[in-house]
Amino acid sequence: MMTVLEIVKAVSAGKKTAVEVTRECLAKIAEMNPSINAFVEVFEQDALARAQEIDAKHARGEQLGPLAGVPVAIKDNILYKGHKATCCSKMLENYVASYTSTVVEKLLQADAVIIGRTNMDEFAMGSTNQTSVYGPVKNPVNLECVPGGSSGGSAAAVAAGMVPAALGTDTGGSVRQPAGFCGIVGIKPGYGRISRYGVIAFASSADQVGVLASTVADAAKVLETISGKDVHDSTSLPAPVPRYDTFFTEGLKGVKVGLPKGFLDGLNPDIKEKIDQAASRLQELGATLVEVEIPLAKYAAPSYYIITSAEASSNLGRYDGIRYGYADHSAKDLNTYYEGSREPFGLEVKKRLIIGTYALTSERYEECFLKAMKVRELIREDFKKVFSQVDVLLTPTSPTTAFKLGQHDEDPLALYLADLYTCQGNIGGLAGISIPFGKDAKGLPVGVQFYGPILEEEKILNAAYNLEKSV
Amino acid sequence: MEITKKDVELAAKLAKMRVSEEEVTIYQEQLEALFKWVAELAAVNTDDVKLTNVNHCAHMREDVAVSHPELAASLRAAFDEEKDQCAKVKKVL
Repeated sequence: MMTVLEIVKAVSAGKKTAVEVTRECLAKIAEMNPSINAFVEVFEQDALARAQEIDAKHARGEQLGPLAGVPVAIKDNILYKGHKATCCSKMLENYVASYTSTVVEKLLQADAVIIGRTNMDEFAMGSTNQTSVYGPVKNPVNLECVPGGSSGGSAAAVAAGMVPAALGTDTGGSVRQPAGFCGIVGIKPGYGRISRYGVIAFASSADQVGVLASTVADAAKVLETISGKDVHDSTSLPAPVPRYDTFFTEGLKGVKVGLPKGFLDGLNPDIKEKIDQAASRLQELGATLVEVEIPLAKYAAPSYYIITSAEASSNLGRYDGIRYGYADHSAKDLNTYYEGSREPFGLEVKKRLIIGTYALTSERYEECFLKAMKVRELIREDFKKVFSQVDVLLTPTSPTTAFKLGQHDEDPLALYLADLYTCQGNIGGLAGISIPFGKDAKGLPVGVQFYGPILEEEKILNAAYNLEKSV
Repeated sequence: MEITKKDVELAAKLAKMRVSEEEVTIYQEQLEALFKWVAELAAVNTDDVKLTNVNHCAHMREDVAVSHPELAASLRAAFDEEKDQCAKVKKVL
């Protein structure tokens, strides 16, 4: 599969048509998807029609957009008018989007081709892609392993070469963790960088759209295309979006990279070794390594699970059989109607809603929800202080590499710990990127992560670009 | 932080979800482990933290799933016709 930048160059120069690129992409999906299950629907006719329009535009001599002819897959929680968006849940199995999300609108304006919707953990709750109603996604690197989640379908589609880029969403690491597990690049910008209009909500104070691609430069190109203030989303920030590649430098002279103290204690030795190697490589590239302290970062994960579950219990209240979702017409009264209509939720979603509702009861509100919110404020302060000392932070993406399908089914806490390093970014509202950096002893990809301050995605992109180039 | 089966059943009821006995047992064990982890947050001193986005004056309701059968009955009584437990409203167009 050609990269995003190669496709744009070829289509814009008339060396390849958008239809040719789309057909190649569809052929690859037909070949690979049956064994990987990354796509839950392919928009074949729609994508070809769109590609023809782009070619016609080019034939008329009109200027093509910055993603001319690039096939992009979208996660199944991102709306595209006239197409299903089910969050891979039985609850929304027949839901057809009545409007298009801002991110998809921007992709279309940039002359990209939306190729299909990808598999995910139900309502984005999970880190293995095993909670999807469409069945699990397999990791293209090793089909016995999970691809990570919740954007596992998007990550696997890119890693298997079915598409050059895909959109995911990241509430606690759902773009970066699967990118790490599948050996590709995944970026989640800072909170507010990308509009969430038309993205089905899970936890509104943490949800962000992110990009999965095979190179840092590709991820940067798609990111700058979909970023920016949107009048439809009051949480999107009114800051100009730079051309990220103009910040790519030769080497990292003058860049301060923070290494959080204690982050590697007790870590899987293969991953620790890779982080040490990445740090040495950054130093060779001219960066200065600085040991920093983020004392409260270890509390990010428990805070994250309380806050996001509480927000989910409110956001998912709309699936009551009246406003959205399945309706239980056999119910005899309103209460059984609600209960019956919420029956299609899977086990993990039900569990999170119970956790969230419990944390919001008057008995537990202060001790759980309010406490987690306060701890989050302190963690944010910690990060603010750290970014006054360094430009970016280097951390592992995940505590382990991809594990076997079903391996942690009996121990959900072990699954929650898979988000240990990534959920800090959502709690802090930070920009984060995962890039592949070698493999472990089992031949599975190891992801390393850079964190940067909000609205300064160019810093993490440049550090990642340089490290990627040095591999 | 101890989580009982009753806690799980209450939270499920408040979330308007039906849970089987088997699910209650599974959730109780899993929630107990999770909330033990959450209890570690107590070690963080948050006395001076001011939250800007939480309404501290929020009036906490009692944790009960509310239903108003008398309200439903009086609403239904306000309509002349009823079919399949639905009130028939006047045609407006």
